[in-house]
Amino acid sequence: MDRRMHWVRWIGVAFILLWTLIPIYWTLNTSLQTNAQVTAKPAYYVPPTPTLRNFATLLTGNGDVPDSVRQSLVNIIIECAAATIVTVVISTLAAYAFARMRFRGRQLLFYAVLATMAFPAYTTLIPIYKIMTGLGLVNTYTGIVLVYVSGFLPLATWILYNYMSSLPVSIEEAGQVDGASRMQVLWHLVVPLARPGIISTAIITFLFAWGQFLFPLVLSSDISTEPLTVVIASLQGRHVVPFSLMSAAGIIAIAIPAVIAVLLNRYIVNGLLSGSVK
Amino acid sequence: MDSTKKHLRSAVLVAGAATLALAMGGCSAGSSGASGGSDQTKNVTINVVLASDPPPKSELAEFTKETGITVKWTNLDWDSLQTKIAAAATAKTYFADATDVDWSRVGQLGKLGWFYPMQKYLKTSSLKADMPQLSSFTVDDKVVGIPYDASFMVTTVNKELFAKAGITTMPTTISDYTKDLQQVKSSGAVQYPLDIPFAAAEGLSTYWYQTTGAFGGTVLDKKGKPQFTSPDSAGYRAAQWMISALKSGLVSPGNINVTDSQGMQTLMAKGNVASVFSDYSGNVGSLYNVPDSSSVVNQVQYIPTPGADGVGPNLSNPDSIGIPVNAKYPKAAAKFISWFTSKDTQVDFAGANGPDKVLSGYALPSRLSAVDVLNSKGTLVGGDVLAKLLKTRAKPVFPEGAPSWYPQFSNSVYTNLHAAAAGNMTVDAAIKAIAQTATQLSSGS
Repeated sequence: MDRRMHWVRWIGVAFILLWTLIPIYWTLNTSLQTNAQVTAKPAYYVPPTPTLRNFATLLTGNGDVPDSVRQSLVNIIIECAAATIVTVVISTLAAYAFARMRFRGRQLLFYAVLATMAFPAYTTLIPIYKIMTGLGLVNTYTGIVLVYVSGFLPLATWILYNYMSSLPVSIEEAGQVDGASRMQVLWHLVVPLARPGIISTAIITFLFAWGQFLFPLVLSSDISTEPLTVVIASLQGRHVVPFSLMSAAGIIAIAIPAVIAVLLNRYIVNGLLSGSVK
Repeated sequence: MDSTKKHLRSAVLVAGAATLALAMGGCSAGSSGASGGSDQTKNVTINVVLASDPPPKSELAEFTKETGITVKWTNLDWDSLQTKIAAAATAKTYFADATDVDWSRVGQLGKLGWFYPMQKYLKTSSLKADMPQLSSFTVDDKVVGIPYDASFMVTTVNKELFAKAGITTMPTTISDYTKDLQQVKSSGAVQYPLDIPFAAAEGLSTYWYQTTGAFGGTVLDKKGKPQFTSPDSAGYRAAQWMISALKSGLVSPGNINVTDSQGMQTLMAKGNVASVFSDYSGNVGSLYNVPDSSSVVNQVQYIPTPGADGVGPNLSNPDSIGIPVNAKYPKAAAKFISWFTSKDTQVDFAGANGPDKVLSGYALPSRLSAVDVLNSKGTLVGGDVLAKLLKTRAKPVFPEGAPSWYPQFSNSVYTNLHAAAAGNMTVDAAIKAIAQTATQLSSGS
């Protein structure tokens, strides 16, 4: 029975891996071919003469498309990094307050913050767009970062709340006995102890921000703020799709989050599981 | 337990109040972007957002020099652009001074009042004779956009593959066309001679509309009622012809997941098929005769679309440019549109005056006068056929303008035809399902 279950498990794992990796492999395969090879019949399952020409075109070439891709790569890094930093700072403060401080309406506020996660994000698109227009923040980094922060803050707060709740209170009490203020306790004792949770929150926020499409599409008007995800979509022409170039841009877009996810995988898992086991 | 319930109830109340406040804030704030833009036309910068590369910088600079209007151009893919148009219009906020108006969304846009009637700024009545596709953008006597190219569906054939099968006289009826395709297949010139994009996407819907037109009918009547339920109707026969082409091996089984542009790029342009019944006007010059993307250079030609009893119509699917009601500088945008769609500009964009003035991807001018100029200069590939088709055969898909519920209808068309092609339902069942959708939508239910 155990042996059979063992095989079933591995077949399941293999299926999920194939299901997930084949589209990524096909994108990579396409990105390493010329457009003529991409449209050949039968299709090449492996690049016949692998070329980095598409990547070179996008990363070092001249012209509107390479310029747009490079600028959008800078944009997405700035927007995701800024959103991550702001989210982590605010959620750390909020999570600490919810986990440790006792004040009136604490639980009510906490549940209210969590309840916002239940709203489909897209239902807020039009009101947010209108508010941002009113504030003059459309097509600005600030506008996009603010929207990301508002969207990811509840999850980040929840993850850190769970993490901080699992930390022993006695260390903080000892600090307070020694005369440390709340902020000193937070900065010198809680933050170092919660560092794995903070790192996982930062990674999760960054990855979520990286994958955004609809909000930045609506909130940015030109290449000065458009992230890579939006620019990749705009590479397709009205009647002609540059498959190999789009695939190369797609590989560039997934490279950074993929590296982060692979290298820091244990933090992501720890963050999501924090508080689930005591 | 009670405490938890109490907290949850409170949380829901707070969340509800927060949403309401957000929505109200959204509704009341930012009226600064609402309609009633400036009439200023000198020293202003307008935003033009289209699913197209920008015109050459020299051309835009010339326009700025003439008018004092600077153009900031943004190229966005068609789907994303439609999302932006809808989001901005719903939020009543500014995002562009001039942008795309697609033929299929004319009904929606007209009904919702998202675009200025162009009559307010241009003398559209004088354009009618020179722009046959203007009617595709007219709804309730309001012109919501001015067509800037003349995209219509046209039949293309690879004359060399046809010749290999011994066919030198092009077919003029669907039955002859079908026989010729069978002859091409049996000759071994190509295994699957016809491209039909059976992927569940808009291209399948437009292919069916064009084939329905060729069979001598229309899809919907003036009131939006389905005209294809009877087995004798053109729409029914068109669907049956398309599916039977797949089943009989005229179309590759792999086409079940091929979209229209994929079929043109990977099948027709590579010599893997001998004909596209519903191709894009302009593809011969912009795709099939381009050595970088094609292995059939100088082999493909336009033919008048074969119909049930002779040459059939060619349905129009052009894009136009209009002015959103939240534009900041509508009058300046109108000046730009007037220049952008003028005869001289279109002639430049189409390459008659040298490569420096070409608008990348520009198919065919929307003005007959511009097409005539190109034709007389010999710079339009297949120009004589295209000019003739544009003048005499190009017709709107929906003569009264696309209905406001077109997106749902189109979705039903391509979903059900795809299912029929995949063998998941019969043609009859697919037609019934599409008809039911059209009946429901047209009756407002």
